[in-house]
Amino acid sequence: MENLRNLYLKTRLQFNALLSQDTVISGYHRALVTQISKPLSQLPLMAVDLEMTGLNSQFDQILSIGLIPIRNGLLQVSHSKHLLVSIDGSVGDSAVIHGIVDNQLTQAVSPKLAMAWFLEQTQGHVLVAHHAPLDLCFLKAEIQRCYGQTIQFVAIDTMAVEKRRLLMQIDVIKEGSLRLDACRQRYGLPVYAAHNAAIDALACGELLLAQIAAIAGNDELSLFDLLN
Amino acid sequence: MDASELQPILQFLQQRVPFDSLNAGALSRCCHGLTIGYYSKASSFVPLDPANPQLYIVRSGAFEVRDRNGELLDRLGEGDYFGFPSLLSGEEASNRVAILEDGLVYHLPPVIFDFLRQESREFDRFFNRAFAKRLRHQGRFKAKELTTTSRVSTLMSKSPQTIDMKASVAQASRLMRTSRVSSVLVIDNNKLVGILTDRDLRNRVLAENHDGSLPVHQAMTTTPVSIESNSLVFEAMLLMSEHNIHHLPVVDNGVTTGVVTSTDILRGQSSQPLLLIGEIERQKDLQSLIQVSKQIPLLLQNLISADARAEEIGRVLTSVTDALTRRLIVLNQQILGEAPMAFCWLAFGSQGRQDQAACSDQDNGLLLAHEPDEAAEGYFDALSHAVCKGLDECGYIYCPGDIMAQNPKWRMSLDKWKQVFERWVNTPEPMALMHASIFFDMRSVYGPQTLFDGLQDAVLSNTKDNDIFLAGLTGNSLTSSPPLGFFRKFVLERDGSEVKGIDLKHKGNALITDIARVYALSAGIKEVNTAKRIRALMDQSIINRKDALNLADAHEFIAHMRLSNQGYQYTQSLPVTNYLMPQNLSSLVRHQLRDAFKVVHDGQVGLKLKMMRSY
Repeated sequence: MENLRNLYLKTRLQFNALLSQDTVISGYHRALVTQISKPLSQLPLMAVDLEMTGLNSQFDQILSIGLIPIRNGLLQVSHSKHLLVSIDGSVGDSAVIHGIVDNQLTQAVSPKLAMAWFLEQTQGHVLVAHHAPLDLCFLKAEIQRCYGQTIQFVAIDTMAVEKRRLLMQIDVIKEGSLRLDACRQRYGLPVYAAHNAAIDALACGELLLAQIAAIAGNDELSLFDLLN
Repeated sequence: MDASELQPILQFLQQRVPFDSLNAGALSRCCHGLTIGYYSKASSFVPLDPANPQLYIVRSGAFEVRDRNGELLDRLGEGDYFGFPSLLSGEEASNRVAILEDGLVYHLPPVIFDFLRQESREFDRFFNRAFAKRLRHQGRFKAKELTTTSRVSTLMSKSPQTIDMKASVAQASRLMRTSRVSSVLVIDNNKLVGILTDRDLRNRVLAENHDGSLPVHQAMTTTPVSIESNSLVFEAMLLMSEHNIHHLPVVDNGVTTGVVTSTDILRGQSSQPLLLIGEIERQKDLQSLIQVSKQIPLLLQNLISADARAEEIGRVLTSVTDALTRRLIVLNQQILGEAPMAFCWLAFGSQGRQDQAACSDQDNGLLLAHEPDEAAEGYFDALSHAVCKGLDECGYIYCPGDIMAQNPKWRMSLDKWKQVFERWVNTPEPMALMHASIFFDMRSVYGPQTLFDGLQDAVLSNTKDNDIFLAGLTGNSLTSSPPLGFFRKFVLERDGSEVKGIDLKHKGNALITDIARVYALSAGIKEVNTAKRIRALMDQSIINRKDALNLADAHEFIAHMRLSNQGYQYTQSLPVTNYLMPQNLSSLVRHQLRDAFKVVHDGQVGLKLKMMRSY
């Protein structure tokens, strides 16, 4: 079964690579193909978090990207990255949520440069994000705009992992109990007060490590144990 | 990315000793160098890669460090460290780290660890100290001037002039002239047998019409009073003023290592305690003694603010008490007349151990050369009542347990005292064991040493290797334990609803005193001062060197905390107590205090293993 899923994912990535007109995008897909059959502990992972001006990928824009790699089961703080992305217009009311105000964006790079940077940083990595569909949606839309190409990510959603784990124990999940902080609390992880994309990426990465430890104990997990 | 983006990690480290000693740049570099791991209970042990040693910083969860034999070494929670021994020694980790609760752990690589050690002395020192599991509280707690200048070894002349006892006084005089000294030590078979001084040449040679051919041994002072090189200068001054002499040979382990003279001392010493003692010795009645004794709290304050070692403070204060006691005895004998027989004034408890602090009460007794008749009984009754009353009025309150010389129960002949001790040792009932902790710390402050030795030798020959008694004493000392809970959190004493804090005396120093006493009695060691007992136990290999040093350090550290806390209470006009509120401590001191209590705990475990094997 797992081999089948593995094969299926590989085929899709290879097919996407074939279809990609752009060398960056096809290279991105090909790099993933060689990685995904590795055991989870050896698989390069990259925890990701985005700050956006809103929740709709059609109208809203990416403000910042936080990244932190996981190698051999350890979060690499020294390779943690944070990038501000310039936007059209003002951050407006969303500043209340992410705390990024207009004048900070003077150091920001254009979305085009940001996407090139993102693809370079995450090439050959399985992404990790809390509520991954939202972040991936924004990234896909932006890459579509910049490269005119569809990209396929391989990503672990820590929220989905948590939801599955919780549903094994209880029938109904209370509202709010799948938020990043609430999930972290369940594993006794520390409360991180100030939030930005870099810290949230770190927080999400730590949550994944805790989840892996809780699910597997001593056993070796494969990527497919964590994918939906 | 800049440091502010790792704020939560930064903040966490900033609040941790020794990371709190790092500057912003170093701390930021440290944050950015971390990797983060998560360890699950299911995997039992943290995998320590010998090829890749790290400093592990516990962020959450609970862990236990065990040695290769599975012996528990340490229990770790948030903010604790492991892995540093291999980083410091370069040797492969032999300890295992068991996972008690799933936890997040920050790893700091060796390159950055070394960088931080160079960057901050405090950082370096912290881990070296932790590594050695030792509490050499240098730096902050190092006593200032007093320690360095107050040892006899710093003042004495180190290559004393010596002469054979068969040499002539003329030869001795020429030696003194050429080496420009006022005394020579007289040696027979490498052993010190006497001292010859300028004054001896004047009084015993010239004034007696002898010529230069007189053998030295006929002019010298035989078996002179001597001192050890690590004694306090202050103690040398006391000896000199007591015996009215100006030269003290310095003898260590039977070997003559130097001479210290009154001039040596005058040169380098301001001596408030001695002035006080001098004043005590000059007073002619009780009222003026009471006046002088009012300076004692001030003396304590000065010693505390001079950051003197707690051990030294104890000895200095006890010397003042001793002097006061002696003076009271002398003054009262002037009224009552000569004693009908030889006697010793015995000091027990803290005065016996020379570790008195503020607000001590009396613990004393009287040792008589033989059974008193009715007249003698009356004399000693009057004398001891007068002295105890005098002490009370000088600020040493009556003993609540009535262990005082004025109580006829504690005024006995040598034979009676021997019987009492023998009964305690052979029938170690609870009451006897309770007495043991007071009475076995016994010293004579007045009277012939030979009389006291007779009692002490008898007591020690009874206790030495007496398994049943020692096991009882050990059991008694283990009824109280240091105030550390699970995960080494402080356990505070509560009095009803009020939190009184950490009882540094009864949960700290008293326990160490107990440990040292049991070992000392088991080995027949005469010392009663706790630090000296521990030193003697180490020298005789009864406690291994590392444990002995740990114990001595912990004793000093806790006593120091107690004194400085009392100094603080005093300046704040608060009641002076033994209780410390941990929230008033810096996190470094908190850490050290926890380590010190850990040493006490280990000491109790060690004692139990040794003394209660068969129980």
